[in-house]
Amino acid sequence: MLAVQGLSVRYGPIQAVRELSLEVRPGEIVALIGANGAGKTSAVKAIAGLLPHGGSVTLSGKPLPRRAERALRAGLALVPEGRGILGQMTVAENLRMGGYARRDRASLPAAIEEQMRRFPILGERRDRLAGLLSGGEQQMLAIARALLSAPRLLVLDEPSLGLAPIMAARIFALVEELRAGGMAILLVEQKARQVLKIADRAYVLETGSLRASGTGAELAAQGLLSDAFMAAGAG
Amino acid sequence: MLLQQLVNGLTLGAVYTLVALGFSLVMGVLGILNLAVAELFMLGGYVGLTLMLDGQPLLVGLGAAALFTGLLGVVVERVAYQPLRNAPPIAPLLSTLGFSVIFQTVATNVWGSDPLLLPPELMDGRYQLGSISVGQAQLVVMATAVGMVAVLALVMRHTRFGYGLRAIAENRDVARLLGVPAPLVTSGAFALSGAMAGVAGVLIGLHYGALTPFVGVEVGLKAIAVMVVGGTTSIWGVLLAGPLLGVLEVMTVAFGGAAFRDMTVYGLMILTLLLRPQGLLGRAGGAQRV
Ligand SMILES: Nc1ncnc2c1ncn2[C@@H]1O[C@H](COP(=O)(O)OP(=O)(O)OP(=O)(O)O)[C@@H](O)[C@H]1O
Ligand SMILES: [Mg+2]
Repeated sequence: MLAVQGLSVRYGPIQAVRELSLEVRPGEIVALIGANGAGKTSAVKAIAGLLPHGGSVTLSGKPLPRRAERALRAGLALVPEGRGILGQMTVAENLRMGGYARRDRASLPAAIEEQMRRFPILGERRDRLAGLLSGGEQQMLAIARALLSAPRLLVLDEPSLGLAPIMAARIFALVEELRAGGMAILLVEQKARQVLKIADRAYVLETGSLRASGTGAELAAQGLLSDAFMAAGAG
Repeated sequence: MLLQQLVNGLTLGAVYTLVALGFSLVMGVLGILNLAVAELFMLGGYVGLTLMLDGQPLLVGLGAAALFTGLLGVVVERVAYQPLRNAPPIAPLLSTLGFSVIFQTVATNVWGSDPLLLPPELMDGRYQLGSISVGQAQLVVMATAVGMVAVLALVMRHTRFGYGLRAIAENRDVARLLGVPAPLVTSGAFALSGAMAGVAGVLIGLHYGALTPFVGVEVGLKAIAVMVVGGTTSIWGVLLAGPLLGVLEVMTVAFGGAAFRDMTVYGLMILTLLLRPQGLLGRAGGAQRV
């Protein structure tokens, strides 16, 4: 599905991501984990077309366009770090923005209703400014909005950041539910232990380079779950 | 007398509002002050009024002005903004200032620096409403301004372009992630901004019965004051501050004397900056990024 090869991102003299290769197969949850500043956000922003980068990114065998607005149309939706809610628009308007690039626009209202059934709180707050929602509600809105573009691959950048544990657990449960529906998911997280419970495989990033990859059990066996992210206070 | 001045002030304020919206649109999307808006306003006035003096109806004058300055707005974007998008914000400010000077020079050469006077019979109807006398030109100015604001509101709330524009104004990266073609929508914002200013230029000519190549500087600065007082990117703030400053200016002249005319307007602007920097309806700390 998603194949990334030799991805490099630099900010002037700073090399944030170095020769990263990873793969997400259909129906998989793949975690990208690493401490603060490891380069996770830079990597997914580059993949989604928000940052210039070296290396190749393909989706279902086709090169992914290097501009975000086109990458979305090719089937990749990124829920950015910090959720990216449009706070001065209402909940309903945010959802409508989710359908901005939809090919089949006639089906958007029904799709929005469907998301409001999935997240009843969004239905209740449809006319409220999205900026006034709680963190957890905003994260649900961000995910619902991303789903409205009908993506083939959903990329989530630290969806549990700043959420109470119970809310984070709900978000993770939702991610599992999406996989059950056949969605491929690339999940960026610092909370390694929690994420590895739901991820099929994980890649560990350390100061921009790939340190290890494998299933949760494989990574635990290498003792990686204590050093790379525990240091960052995750878990 | 007071009511009469109120009507006069609201007419002037309607023009300020449109020009301020022209500034505010680009400010909201890119966080830069497009100084050329002031001179697009002046050029729109000349184009529209020249056509009207030629016998064309008002709507043709307004439409041609909007079209002309809308297109010029896109030219400004392509030449003065696009190539500098990664430069420090002062760079596009200076390049739009450059455009302003060029536009003013062109206008001076084409139409001369003497005022273009409109024959009074172009629009000389007057209507008596109780003790207030409203000129036909005043009605046209206010109705057109209200119409333009309504169209703008509809575009922002109900069109794809409007949604894209609002999304970009709030967060360019997020807008792109949602599929908004940022370059296209940005050009659209410059076009809309130019068109609003151009229409306002025709209106100021009708209001004063005359036009000079220097009207852009005068009204442009006032419109910037309106934008500051209202809250830089708050459309509602501009809608409130435009009429307010128009009335304030007219009342100052009527009751304080012409010498104080600009003092109260800019005084209010400075007071706003000191006491409520986000503007009347702006959000605290809500300065635009990008
Ligand atoms: N816009 C930028 N300009 C310069 N350097 C940047 C920029 N954004 C990130 N960096 C640097 O790139 C490196 C990787 O940052 P990045 O945000 O990708 O890490 P991260 O793994 O997402 O961290 P976190 O877990 O804190 O979100 C860091 O050293 C960071 O300081
Ligand atoms: Mg990050």
